[in-house]
Amino acid sequence: MSTAFESRRRFLRDLGVGAATMPFLAGLTSLRAEESIAPQRRKRLVVMFSPNGTLPDEFWPDEFGDQTPLKLKPMLQALEPFREQTLILKGIDNKVRGDGDNHMRGMSCLLTATELNPGNIQGGGHTPAGWAGGISIDQEVRRFFQSDDRTKTRFGSLEFGVAVPNRADPWTRMCYAGSDRPIAPIDDPGQMFEKLYGGAQDRQTVASVLDRIGDDLARVSSKLSSADRSLLQEHLESVRKLEIDIAAASGETQLLHPEPEIDPNIELVNDNTPEISRMQIELLVNALANDMTRVASLQFMRSVGQARMRWLDIQDGHHSLSHEPDGNEQAHAKLMRINQWFAGELAFLAKRLAETPEPGRPGESLLDNTQIVWLNELGKGNSHTLDNIPFLLVGGGADFRTGRALDFDGAAHNRLWLALAHGLGHRDLQTFGSAAYCEGGAIDLG
Amino acid sequence: MPTPTPLRRCTLMLAGCLMLAGDKSPCAPAAPPQADARQADARQATDAESPATPVANIYRQKCERCHGADGGGTPDGYSKPFQPDQSLEELTTIIVETMPEEDPQLCVGEEARQLARYIRRQLISRSEPAPEPRISRLTVSQYRNAVADVIGHFAPSARQRNETSNGSARRGGGAGGDSEVPGLRGDYYQSAGMNKAHRLGHYRSDNRMEFDFGSEAPVPSLTADQFAIIWQGALSADHTGNYEFRLSTENGARLYLNFDPTPDRRALRDDSSVAGQQALIDAWVGSGEHRQRTARVFLLGGRSYPIRLEFFKYLEDDASIKLEWKPPHGTWQVLDYNHTSTSQPDRVFVSQAPFPADDRSLGFERGVSASPQWQTATMHGAVQAASEVVDRLPLLAELNELQGQQRVARTHQFVRDFATVAFRRPLREDEQQLLPTLVGDDVASLESGVRRAVILVLMSPSFLYPDLTPDGEAPTPWTVASRLSFALWDSIPDAQLTRTAADGKLQTRDQIQSQASRMLRDPRAKAKMQGFFRHWLELEQRDLAKDEELYPTFDEAVVADLRRSLELFIDRVVWDQDSDYRELLRADYLMLNDRLAALYAPDASADNAKLDGEEIKRRARRRQFASEFQPVDFPPEKRSGILTHPYLLSAFAYHNNTSPIHRGVFLTRNIVGRALSPPPMAIAFKDDEFPKELTMREKVTHLTRDAACMSCHSIINPLGFTLENFDAVGRWRDSDNQRPVDPTSQYTTAAGATLQLASARDVANFAVESPSAHRAFVTHFFEHVVKRRPSEFRPGLVDELSDRFVTEDFNIQKLWTQIAALVAAQDFDPPPKLPSEN
Repeated sequence: MSTAFESRRRFLRDLGVGAATMPFLAGLTSLRAEESIAPQRRKRLVVMFSPNGTLPDEFWPDEFGDQTPLKLKPMLQALEPFREQTLILKGIDNKVRGDGDNHMRGMSCLLTATELNPGNIQGGGHTPAGWAGGISIDQEVRRFFQSDDRTKTRFGSLEFGVAVPNRADPWTRMCYAGSDRPIAPIDDPGQMFEKLYGGAQDRQTVASVLDRIGDDLARVSSKLSSADRSLLQEHLESVRKLEIDIAAASGETQLLHPEPEIDPNIELVNDNTPEISRMQIELLVNALANDMTRVASLQFMRSVGQARMRWLDIQDGHHSLSHEPDGNEQAHAKLMRINQWFAGELAFLAKRLAETPEPGRPGESLLDNTQIVWLNELGKGNSHTLDNIPFLLVGGGADFRTGRALDFDGAAHNRLWLALAHGLGHRDLQTFGSAAYCEGGAIDLG
Repeated sequence: MPTPTPLRRCTLMLAGCLMLAGDKSPCAPAAPPQADARQADARQATDAESPATPVANIYRQKCERCHGADGGGTPDGYSKPFQPDQSLEELTTIIVETMPEEDPQLCVGEEARQLARYIRRQLISRSEPAPEPRISRLTVSQYRNAVADVIGHFAPSARQRNETSNGSARRGGGAGGDSEVPGLRGDYYQSAGMNKAHRLGHYRSDNRMEFDFGSEAPVPSLTADQFAIIWQGALSADHTGNYEFRLSTENGARLYLNFDPTPDRRALRDDSSVAGQQALIDAWVGSGEHRQRTARVFLLGGRSYPIRLEFFKYLEDDASIKLEWKPPHGTWQVLDYNHTSTSQPDRVFVSQAPFPADDRSLGFERGVSASPQWQTATMHGAVQAASEVVDRLPLLAELNELQGQQRVARTHQFVRDFATVAFRRPLREDEQQLLPTLVGDDVASLESGVRRAVILVLMSPSFLYPDLTPDGEAPTPWTVASRLSFALWDSIPDAQLTRTAADGKLQTRDQIQSQASRMLRDPRAKAKMQGFFRHWLELEQRDLAKDEELYPTFDEAVVADLRRSLELFIDRVVWDQDSDYRELLRADYLMLNDRLAALYAPDASADNAKLDGEEIKRRARRRQFASEFQPVDFPPEKRSGILTHPYLLSAFAYHNNTSPIHRGVFLTRNIVGRALSPPPMAIAFKDDEFPKELTMREKVTHLTRDAACMSCHSIINPLGFTLENFDAVGRWRDSDNQRPVDPTSQYTTAAGATLQLASARDVANFAVESPSAHRAFVTHFFEHVVKRRPSEFRPGLVDELSDRFVTEDFNIQKLWTQIAALVAAQDFDPPPKLPSEN
């Protein structure tokens, strides 16, 4: 490993939040120290998306019901350590109809639970459509949290992406600030790091060359007349001041949890997806731990995503595989591996949250107060059904009774979002998305 | 040629005179030309006055309060030391006419002369040995240009040009070559469902980015229900500043600006995307409604940027698209052929680093401070540039598919090349060694290493200082090349200039000047020239808004057009082969488009005849080119170059009336080249306090009748009155307040001669014959080009350059190449020894 790289890593460990964040962090008590932690419980929401439907027979447990302990099928084995905090919800359908094909509605109506606006984007069938016509549930919760100083955070929400293509259309966006207002996920860990921690990395790089610049100035200066030297002298003093500023800033304002290590050289290519995913999860957990946000989403690829998961020894595109008929054993095996991998990423997220103590609440972990919702735009890939979306919840943020699987037999997913909002404290929400699908109110998960 | 007369100098830094809301005081000091009369003055040596002599007492009583005991200035008075290069005559004149400022009559005659001598001998000579530092850092604009060009050096088409060029300059920096035409190339595609670019049906160049296809197909070879169009080419930016873009459509569209053009035109599919390109405006997804999206981007002037607009219709009833922009100093307008072409330029890196403004205390921008804020900005600038380089590394370093140690080696070579271009010289041995060390040998961390190397290079003095040659040391060929390119482009040398220097062909004055002539044809030179006029004509931060009731048609669009009209006029004159300064002052035409012609040449555009069908069609065609500016001739007595350009006439006027004082001060200082001292008292021009029937001329005459005022206003007013034939928006008028305009006056020249003036043309004719006017122009020009004062180089330099300017038929381009060559080689005759005054 090169020295440059080593010192970068050392820097990341040593520096803490660093100089660049100083100006805008000053005054944010939540970042400072333990004593400023509010006694109130911090409820959090994390939405994790993976595309192209699931394998229903590998996903759904054999038994449902209030009294039956949850049994996880092999595909979800990675979640075994969190089985007691897991809740699987069957029979919840995305009933939103109107313009757009099922992938488009699957994606853009998933969190918004309302119809797409008319538009000009032609899907694989059905009528063309535009953006979703309303706010998504994560943004609704964000709005609710941000409206109260006790739950307000610096970012309100953070949208993470992994291998999301660089284009904006109803297949690539699930979070909406409102009708026609899609929110782009950030799928570059470097960019997210920059957003969270400012230019700390860059400052360190600068600090590492300032000595040489000082030497150069002195060298050049020595050849000049005294009158000509004055500007270079001033310059040299400015260089020294910058050096001191950077050093001083690094000693102050330690984060409760130092930021994670991010390899700044990671290329945003398909084959690096596993590394990128872990980086994003680290950043996400870190942002929650430091209370920069209480709402986050983690979007893997996009609806109709064609990721080629060569790290799983799969050469085919994910979407094409999902179209294969049920009898195709090979495709089934590959889809199994793919969804195992997603479950593994979810388990990693849960693990990192479970390992992180909840500040100010002895004995609790972040996971105890964080509601993770794993979801998909389709129930099943080859039928394109929007029924029986695989909703799998982990964690304790919404105070649902976990360690079980429930079958609601055809409830609109609007009602799940109502339950989620209520569970996170947003109890005044009476309807969400299309009111037509809200009949019966929040489903009972207590 | 008339003998140069001593110039009056204003030596006080005071605001005042006529208080104008939102306007610069007409009495703010300009930077007048220097005279170098030390030698003559030396002969006037007299007895030295000791501090105890009466004249010392006079200084203490009358001068010390503002100028300080040692002549170094005081914070509350005159903040600067006395100028060392004023002659005894000049200094005496200043004292007689303007000092002390509260009552210039208090110190005249022999007393003034003694005082001048005392100041020169006791105060100036004492502080004289501290010479001006010659070293300066890059100005902000030089920095932005230089960073753009260092990175641009490695862009694909620049690289190609560097490798193949054999001395022929190509304009615009594009690779479009001969096929380049105004407008954008439009490719018209038949769509098929998700595949927007199913079949290319048609292509052409489009002049104006405003299309309303209604329910029809745009071209017969496409169907009306679904089609897509891609427009692409180059956008040229005249000014540095913020550009706004506005995209309007009820369909789908994306605007890309300043990207790395991909070699293949990838098919547009709804389910694929072009990697790594971020749209400036993304309105791809429609919502069934007409919508408008805007975006803002900061661009450097004098450069072209790749632009691409993608558009598609899919089953909507109608199709339309409009792309407008709002350049700096402009208003919203449809993007058209005036600023687009079908060439394909490289991406330009535009540094967004937040630099503090450069010092302008001498009237031009200089890099004389390296403050902590500036240092922080250079850090941000270096970090941004490093990100840019790392993001585009495969392209810039031509890494292609290189792997392993080959990739490492290529990257090492790249950082060396990068430093060589940025430092504008071959690298020293230690630098050669250091840079690869910073990058390291680990192929997995090359990007971190490149980031570090780029930051080091761009924060180095070798990059940040245009010239670090020690005093008395002969410049290297690289230094000569660098000085030359900064003098012409405010940027680093291009590959050709560097090669010329390397070949040892940048040694003689002729060789240097021939490179200079080549470099003048580059758009960067054009941008720098425009910068000079912006400065000389005080175009910055002008508020031309007028009283809406009095001038209802004088709106923002007219102001923006006038600005462009003035710039086009200047370009036309200075980039003509003759490049004649006299034409600037005396041309009898204006550049007008349809909108301006209606206001300023109503006779030419009025046409009340009944229009026949042909004429209506002709006009419809013409409407597309309504933004076109054409020269429109006027009778010579009615227009005279920039003196009567409506932009300046409006700028130097009140919102509801003319202002002979503002116009007169402008003519006095900037055109005729005389210095004015600040006004003895602050007087507001209160229009409503005058009797209603007075003309503007009568009001001004009344207002400045005081003897103390008249020492300056006897110069200002006659010049300003010659423009009374132009109203507050610069239109010709014969009457003011229902009475005939009287533009005539008697003007006393600095030499004491009396001139009869009756029009702006008389002033222009006087100026083109006046050495002080020439010197003022040459001085301003020199300072803008070199960012230093000519007196720092050699006494008498301005006089020489002015004489040459006259003998070479006032050719501005030649003046520029001469200055650039002179400053590049600095092979002046040794400066004459300053004779002792005893």
